[in-house]
Amino acid sequence: MKKDIFSESERLAFLSSKFREMFDLWGYREIFLPTVENLNERLRKGIKLVHNGEIYVVKPDLTSQILANYKDDDKTIRIFYISEVLNSDIKGMLQAGIEFIGGKEREMWVEVLSIVITSLDHVGLKEFYLDIGSLKVWKDATEDIGGFREEVFLALKRRNFGIIEELPIDDEKKEELWKLFNFRGKKSGFEDLDFLIEALKDERVFLDLGTMRLLNYYDDMVFEAYAPGFGFPIGGGGDYIVNGKKGVGFAFYLNNLVNLCEFNEVNEDDRIELSGDLIERYERARDLVRRGIAIKPM
Amino acid sequence: MKRLKDGLNFVLPKGRLMKDSLKLLGKLGIVDTIPEGRELVYEGDNFTILLAKSFDVPVYVEHGVDIGIAGSDVVEELESDVFIPLELPFGICRLSVAVLKGSELDVRSMEGFKIATKYPNLTLKFFNSLNVDVEILRLSGSIELAPRIGIADAIVDIVKTGRTLRSNGLVEIHKIMDVSAFLIVNRISQKTKFERINAFVNGVKELIKSGWEC
Repeated sequence: MKKDIFSESERLAFLSSKFREMFDLWGYREIFLPTVENLNERLRKGIKLVHNGEIYVVKPDLTSQILANYKDDDKTIRIFYISEVLNSDIKGMLQAGIEFIGGKEREMWVEVLSIVITSLDHVGLKEFYLDIGSLKVWKDATEDIGGFREEVFLALKRRNFGIIEELPIDDEKKEELWKLFNFRGKKSGFEDLDFLIEALKDERVFLDLGTMRLLNYYDDMVFEAYAPGFGFPIGGGGDYIVNGKKGVGFAFYLNNLVNLCEFNEVNEDDRIELSGDLIERYERARDLVRRGIAIKPM
Repeated sequence: MKRLKDGLNFVLPKGRLMKDSLKLLGKLGIVDTIPEGRELVYEGDNFTILLAKSFDVPVYVEHGVDIGIAGSDVVEELESDVFIPLELPFGICRLSVAVLKGSELDVRSMEGFKIATKYPNLTLKFFNSLNVDVEILRLSGSIELAPRIGIADAIVDIVKTGRTLRSNGLVEIHKIMDVSAFLIVNRISQKTKFERINAFVNGVKELIKSGWEC
């Protein structure tokens, strides 16, 4: 039997409208990006397409698409999108995300994570957590063993400390990396990270230095949102530099979230049922919906 | 995924890695035997063990089972988005290219060859790295038959002693990668069951360090 695409679509629409409401409340404006872009080295994911001798990318990663379109003279921007991304596959994933570019770094981080928390509360997700990590912490920690940075990042990606243990570096360094590798808590000793915990005042937010998102545009802090009992992240993001300005953004993965949220069915009893002949019914319907009153489909 | 027990949930591969995987769990005091039968789920006091086909183990772990044991060949083939905290000291073999005896050649000369395999991604990656175009014939078992009956020119498959190859008139001509069992962990379980998973992984690590062999 085919998947009930319309039922899932209703739930995706519910999530989208909830996120749209919340992003709007925070003062973000919605943007619609083109489905097809000319190939650009800044675009990630998507599907490549050759047409009339030109190479295009269909539905690329949205953050990379926004960064590719961001102009030097753009001021501080707060934008959001709800759109599909092709993760180098022909089947897309629906994402709802925001980008905040050109603000003060700490403010941007507190604001963006506040939006994540209030948005997940707004869709009625009962249990979720956010883990924040830092690429800079790892870049600094591997400064003196720069030749092995790639191996250290592979170890983080796989969460396999054995890769680090086999490196020809001294035991003191390995011990330092081991502590970072396994740090998960509320106070890390890294000022910028600890500040976020203090500012957000939310028991569901943790610092986890093993959290990594190795996308080419991330600069320092990254985070992942997840829910117990569900094997995939429900969202994630990080900060980046675009045309010399810092930006922070994230995306929720709606196809994952749709399995977790409770959906409030529209109460059909609140809708007005119309009767009479076709002309009468639709005249009355036009009048009611103009006044914002819901009608029962006829 | 429907919730399994709050304790640790494992998925083990039926087949060549099953016996050693159980030995490992037994050594750690979790479970050393699973009653024979057709049940695919075994529930203990504080754990659940699922039994799955080897190629499905990473899929279960990706989708929320906490811990699995799978061959590195399978994890790399599926490019599974899982943590791989440890390489285990069993399931050791290699992924190799083999051809019919008497047809030995350099793999760089295999342009246009039809290759039978369970590992289309690894095979294509390997030949692409050599800039050699090959055609893949995807099979799910008894790969050795394909060159024998003439529907493929070569195979890419797991080789341990080479006996199966020899008995089917094939000869190994190139090793693509070494293979062993991996301990794999779901990315989110690593966060939500942080202490328990770290304790388990460290237990396995200590066991390996102490020279344990299955």
